[in-house]
Amino acid sequence: MKQLFPVPHVIGFVSSLLLSLIALIVVKFHLSFTMGMTILGVTALIQAALQLFLFMHVNENENKSALLTNIGYALFVGLVTIFGTLFAMMWGYQMI
Amino acid sequence: MKIDHSLPLEYSTEENRLKILGFWIFLGAEIVLFSTLFAVYFTLQHNVGNGPAGSHIFELTPVMIETIVLLSSSFTIGLGVHAMRLGNKKAMMTFFGITLLLGLVFLGVEITEFVTYIHEGATMQTSAFLSALFTLLGTHGMHVTFGLLWGSAILMQVKKRGLTPETANKSFIFSLYWHFLDVVWIFIFSFVYLKGMM
Repeated sequence: MKQLFPVPHVIGFVSSLLLSLIALIVVKFHLSFTMGMTILGVTALIQAALQLFLFMHVNENENKSALLTNIGYALFVGLVTIFGTLFAMMWGYQMI
Repeated sequence: MKIDHSLPLEYSTEENRLKILGFWIFLGAEIVLFSTLFAVYFTLQHNVGNGPAGSHIFELTPVMIETIVLLSSSFTIGLGVHAMRLGNKKAMMTFFGITLLLGLVFLGVEITEFVTYIHEGATMQTSAFLSALFTLLGTHGMHVTFGLLWGSAILMQVKKRGLTPETANKSFIFSLYWHFLDVVWIFIFSFVYLKGMM
């Protein structure tokens, strides 16, 4: 029974729950926008990394470099889409 | 078909390894898909027209339930893959079964939440904000729904055929899909709900 619950998985699960609770700080306390976004960004990124490296076993794949390049490229396109859209539609527009 | 016994079943043939790599490439495309929906949401989130803003309709309790349920299901499917590598078919099926049940609970809570919004007069047609919100949440929810059907089909196959290189490969790929949906949810939880309630 015990070998069905490997310690890294249990620790990963508990940490992801804790990180979700930590993120609640932004709702429960009055923080500045920057501070709130920083907390959300950090907790979300750590949780995503936990899933990727612990549960999705990225590192054990023999095509690890091809796989990480692909994910890196997708994240690049995704972030350019999001921040490029914000830049063109929100920030740039309001600055003029 | 050459089977390499030094590797876990799901990686044991070249075809299996390529299928896993191919699925990661698909997940790359999914990252971009959800990015476009997030971009639309961030752009339109303040365009509420005569409808309610996020801070008026978002409720913490159902969102926390959804988060905890989805995080737990990600944990149980991780345990399922671990059990599969131990060759424990029964434990693997139990963990995958629990995962799908948790997915069903998630979907139930999300649908209830949507019905509540609509009763409060917040429909997809009410404002640009709500159109973007329902599109983002709906696309994620649709992925979960599809996952439930896909996962059930895989479970039936494992039950019938046992853990073979083929079924183990399918189960592992399904676990990647499920973890990915959890990652997307973490971003929805943080940057849609919590940010909206800030």
